[in-house]
Amino acid sequence: MSNYVLFIIIVTYLAALFFIAYVAEKNSKSKWVNNSVVYTLSLAVYCTAWTYYGSIGIAANSGVNFLPIYLGPVIAAPLWIVLLRKIVRISKQHKISSIADFISLRYGNHRFLGALVTIVCLLAIVPYISLQLKAVSETFQILSDDTSYVATSVYDDSTFYIALLLAVFATFFGTQTTDASEKHKGIVMSVAFESILKLVFFLFVGIYVTYVLFDGTEDIYTKMSVAENFESLTAINGFEGGFNWLYTIMLSFMAIFLLPRQFQVSVVENVREKHIKNAIWMFPLYLLLFNIFVIFIAWAGNLTIGNTAQAEYYALLLPLQNGNTFLSVLVFLGGFSAVISMVVVATLALSTMVSNNLVIPYGFLDYFIKSHPERNAKYIKNIRRISIFLIIISAYSFYVNFSFELSLYSIGLMAFVIISQLAPSFFIGLFWNRGSSNATIIGIVAGIAVVFYTLILPFSLHALNGSDDLVQYGLAGIEALKPHALFGIDFLSPPAHAFFWSLLVNLFCYMTFSVIKKGNYRERNYAEMYVDSKNYTDLQDGALVWKGEAYVADIKKVLVKFLGDTRTERALNLFFRKYDLPLDTQMADARLINFSEKLLTGSIGSASAKILIASVVKEDEVSLVEVLKILEESKETIARNKLLREKSNELTKLTNQLKDANEELIEKDKQKDEFLDTVAHELKTPITGIRATTELLMDDDDDMPLEIKTQFLKNMLQDSDRLSRLIHNILDFEKLSKGRTQLNIKKYNIKNTIQKTIDSLRQIADKKQVEIINSNQSDLKAEYDEDRIVQVLTNLISNAIKFCDVKKGKIIVDYKFDLGYLEVSIKDNGKGVPKQDLPFIFDKFYQSKNQNIQKPEGSGLGLAICKQIVENHNGNIWVKNNEKSGATFGFKLPFK
Amino acid sequence: MKKRHEQKLVILSITALAILNVPFLLIFNHDGHVFGIPAFYFSIFSIWLVIILVSYIVLKRHYE
Repeated sequence: MSNYVLFIIIVTYLAALFFIAYVAEKNSKSKWVNNSVVYTLSLAVYCTAWTYYGSIGIAANSGVNFLPIYLGPVIAAPLWIVLLRKIVRISKQHKISSIADFISLRYGNHRFLGALVTIVCLLAIVPYISLQLKAVSETFQILSDDTSYVATSVYDDSTFYIALLLAVFATFFGTQTTDASEKHKGIVMSVAFESILKLVFFLFVGIYVTYVLFDGTEDIYTKMSVAENFESLTAINGFEGGFNWLYTIMLSFMAIFLLPRQFQVSVVENVREKHIKNAIWMFPLYLLLFNIFVIFIAWAGNLTIGNTAQAEYYALLLPLQNGNTFLSVLVFLGGFSAVISMVVVATLALSTMVSNNLVIPYGFLDYFIKSHPERNAKYIKNIRRISIFLIIISAYSFYVNFSFELSLYSIGLMAFVIISQLAPSFFIGLFWNRGSSNATIIGIVAGIAVVFYTLILPFSLHALNGSDDLVQYGLAGIEALKPHALFGIDFLSPPAHAFFWSLLVNLFCYMTFSVIKKGNYRERNYAEMYVDSKNYTDLQDGALVWKGEAYVADIKKVLVKFLGDTRTERALNLFFRKYDLPLDTQMADARLINFSEKLLTGSIGSASAKILIASVVKEDEVSLVEVLKILEESKETIARNKLLREKSNELTKLTNQLKDANEELIEKDKQKDEFLDTVAHELKTPITGIRATTELLMDDDDDMPLEIKTQFLKNMLQDSDRLSRLIHNILDFEKLSKGRTQLNIKKYNIKNTIQKTIDSLRQIADKKQVEIINSNQSDLKAEYDEDRIVQVLTNLISNAIKFCDVKKGKIIVDYKFDLGYLEVSIKDNGKGVPKQDLPFIFDKFYQSKNQNIQKPEGSGLGLAICKQIVENHNGNIWVKNNEKSGATFGFKLPFK
Repeated sequence: MKKRHEQKLVILSITALAILNVPFLLIFNHDGHVFGIPAFYFSIFSIWLVIILVSYIVLKRHYE
């Protein structure tokens, strides 16, 4: 394929990426951009050209050692639920935009530490980027037909232009706002898209090689198993191999958290915490799919090409040699995608670090203070843009000068070893509050020094003058100082060896110096915030302990320089409203200091933010003890507030209960008074009658006719009957309602009980010519007090008789079994119950209104007693008017 | 997600680290193959898949 065609394909592809990123940026709120799948795919920026091409090289030449690079992340993924969530939470709260910010903030916003972390990252990542460029350049050469073509100068090397295009891409989508903690949705979306492409194309070529070029996996296996080094390709080399394996797993475990590009996509670009949930299982799945065909492509290459020097590019060479140019272009594009996403995200992350942790805090602060906000924003963006170009250009020159003879795998591992020097301060710092900034610096410097001696120095010497003397004989001929076998430990691979020693030294320094000398109060303050992040999220801006003198106006002046007038005003208003402060507050407190530092962090980095704010306030020294005391107190206050709130809720509940009880009591009292009044009244009526008649009879001068006298005596008898009935009812009712009566509960047949009642009432009914129909013949046995139920039935039926018209009256008594209850109903065709009386009809002494005009016929207690009896049986009683005429009374008794 | 369920994932991770290293690793050092996949690779890939499944199930059930 001609160079030009290939170059056109590349440019078209890049244009497509620009388009995707642009559309994503435009629709940054869409759910197509903000979801867990995109998040997971963006994490797959982990799979670079090293995965795409390098794994195959390892699998073809030395066997299983490409696997631990992916097993580390697989082991790390379940831990994300604890670790990554904590990191994301802290970063969001403090508006952290890079790993350098994250580490330097943990150790008290330490300016030098931030710079050191940045340098470590540059040291690791710039060669790593150059490795990616190397992959592009080599695959480009393989694919273009002019294989003898060698670039003679930078200007006719296509890799140079591709690198520049990538820089433009990163600049365009990476530096749109000054606040680096803002999301770069365009870049994330394009990375996610590329992650799909690289996986799909890799699977394509895997399937093509295994099932088209060969006859399936077993075919490759049988053909390969005759090779003499087959044993070493499919098994681990004993315990020594096991150590290398373990150290590589540890390296990749750390890398998935610490690599600047991983931190960028997993923490800074994390839109929602819950996206981590799906990433925990989807990301390992992605990696698994990427690794399944590696050995088959590698072995197929070994079988058909057999050129170990070119093993890394078997995926490209296999379809090419079999005349499938289209597939090889796809493979090339997949690898190119892996390169682009890595280069773009890594340079973006590095440029943020360089500007926020290296350039701005060490040179531009004074300038910014004097300048205008618009110009400041422009400067910050330009610093980042220039950094992006410088990083890519230095990666390119590293590639041109150094990396010709080294494989993708070894440079990649070297980057991992260097970046792992951040591990002690990063991981332990999250859980151990005593780790101090000085100890961190000593640890990292010492670790890097060891890496330099054991890995970088031998590599550089070899690359510069091809001498291996140092590796062979050690420093000044001392055996124990051989860079790849310090103190005689010679069974580890150089990266594992360097990792072991450097991390040991680093960890030792970090821990020891942390305990030997304690950090200052500010460090400890941030340490507490990180370690106990859950509690301090509640405290929010109150988590920073600060004492001194500061004016809101001064702080505002600084903020305006970077945020502009309107944003500053808006942010401060929000702040004052949140904490219920007057808008014209003069003196700033610790919360405002913390708030303003956070506002600035995204734009100029946490260290610069601290320096700037510190320059306009007068801070008093606070002792470490005091800081801890204040923190403890504010934590306690929060806990106490929570407790108080709970207690007060409880109290409110209790008060309400008391109120209800009180109301009930008042109601009862009122009822009692009413009851007494009514009883007195009811008793008085017959007594008055008796008394009046007696008086008449006494005053009588014997001229009263005998029949009138008899009538009077009859009245007296009636009234005293009524009186005794009334007293009996009252006593009965009182007993029932107080629960003092013992119910004599036995098993009875309701049929017999009803029959008995009707028989006793037959006479009254006949007198009024009312018909009582009782046609139900089924036997239903239930447990109740028969005398009482007869009382209820008598009352209800005689009521019915009373309200029925003479001759036309018809009463239907019925019963049935219904859902565990025995239900008895008495239906009449009388005048029914007036609507307004329905709710009160079972109340004591309630007499219907129109009945009051006449002389009351009942005691007014009959239905109330019925209700009491039924309720004492745990049943219920009710009344309703029939549709046509009359009313139905009914009650339910439980069977048991 | 409750602490208890989070800790299930932590245990999963520790178990994975143990199983995917020496001495367990040496157990997989077999000759032979399954569907043309060498025994060593097949074991690793299966464990890998189990890790994915277990974390999927734990998260599906308990993430809130």
